[in-house]
Amino acid sequence: MKILVIIPAYNEEANILNTVKSVLKYNKKYKTNYDIIVINDGSKDQTGQICKNNQIPVIDLIQNLGIGGAVQTGYKYAKNHNYDIAIQFDGDGQHDVTYIKDIIQPIIDNKADMTVGSRFIKKTSNNFYSTTMRRLGINVISFVIKLVTHKKIYDTTSGFRACNKEVINIFANDYPIEYPEPISTVDLLKQNYSVEEVPVLMKERVAGKSSITPFKSAYYMINVILAIIIRGSK
Amino acid sequence: MSLNLRIGVLLVALFLLIIVIHVLKKGKIPIKYSLLWFISILILFLVSLVPNTLMLIADIFGFEVMSNMIIGVFLVILLFISISLTIIISDQRQKIILLIQEISLLKEKNNDK
Repeated sequence: MKILVIIPAYNEEANILNTVKSVLKYNKKYKTNYDIIVINDGSKDQTGQICKNNQIPVIDLIQNLGIGGAVQTGYKYAKNHNYDIAIQFDGDGQHDVTYIKDIIQPIIDNKADMTVGSRFIKKTSNNFYSTTMRRLGINVISFVIKLVTHKKIYDTTSGFRACNKEVINIFANDYPIEYPEPISTVDLLKQNYSVEEVPVLMKERVAGKSSITPFKSAYYMINVILAIIIRGSK
Repeated sequence: MSLNLRIGVLLVALFLLIIVIHVLKKGKIPIKYSLLWFISILILFLVSLVPNTLMLIADIFGFEVMSNMIIGVFLVILLFISISLTIIISDQRQKIILLIQEISLLKEKNNDK
């Protein structure tokens, strides 16, 4: 089974090498051979160069596209190279590589078309749940998705996910550029594909800075809700 | 409707017509986008040349002063053009994203060899 780890990265020179190395270590430990493709989303720093210097497969987007456009490039690559499973894994070091096996298991077992690594479905102490406001926002989005698709997804903004070949093809052709995480979930559910959540822990950012501000969050919320309702009513 | 206003609208319509034909001749805008402008210009000509029929319409829509309806007509035309532009831009954005992705994928493929 051919499995690809898609790692989108924008200005992640401080994290990218560790992220990739963690996947390589995982390969060694579990005797797997997952391929890696870093999507360098037009970074202004040395992200692309670091990858090249360390012989890490990388696609340098010639312009910055944002997370949606970057990830879709990864799915196109997965489709072109005939991968069976694609895993989305952030380049900023927030995702924990040890959960990859949990995330792809339902796909291998044919129990789900896409899995989402979720921080919220199983309470585990001492981990990164993110701030109260962010959680509130995620809950609201979760509620709207439930209204539209009748399926409860708890961690709607998680970028740690895996999908099978069929979904790779769908995403390669049509992937939401705006608010990709919640919207792609809605799209799949609306087309009667199964989406399952898998409990994972996430770490806080190791280095670099998150770009989220309160105003941006409110703006994000309004847009996401609107987008879910519109995509959902298609 | 005062004669001054009618002349003013007529001049604006003529001016727009000259500009649109000019850029069209130079190939700066495609024919299909120019149609939108020709329709807008036609409406302006109608406003200026047959104001009596328009008085009737103004009455129906409840405009008390004719000049208000002219402003209203301008506003609707502008809104319509804005929506069209948003659609055109979104369409182009989609195409640009596709181009960036495909070129980047191709470059990666070539570097492999």
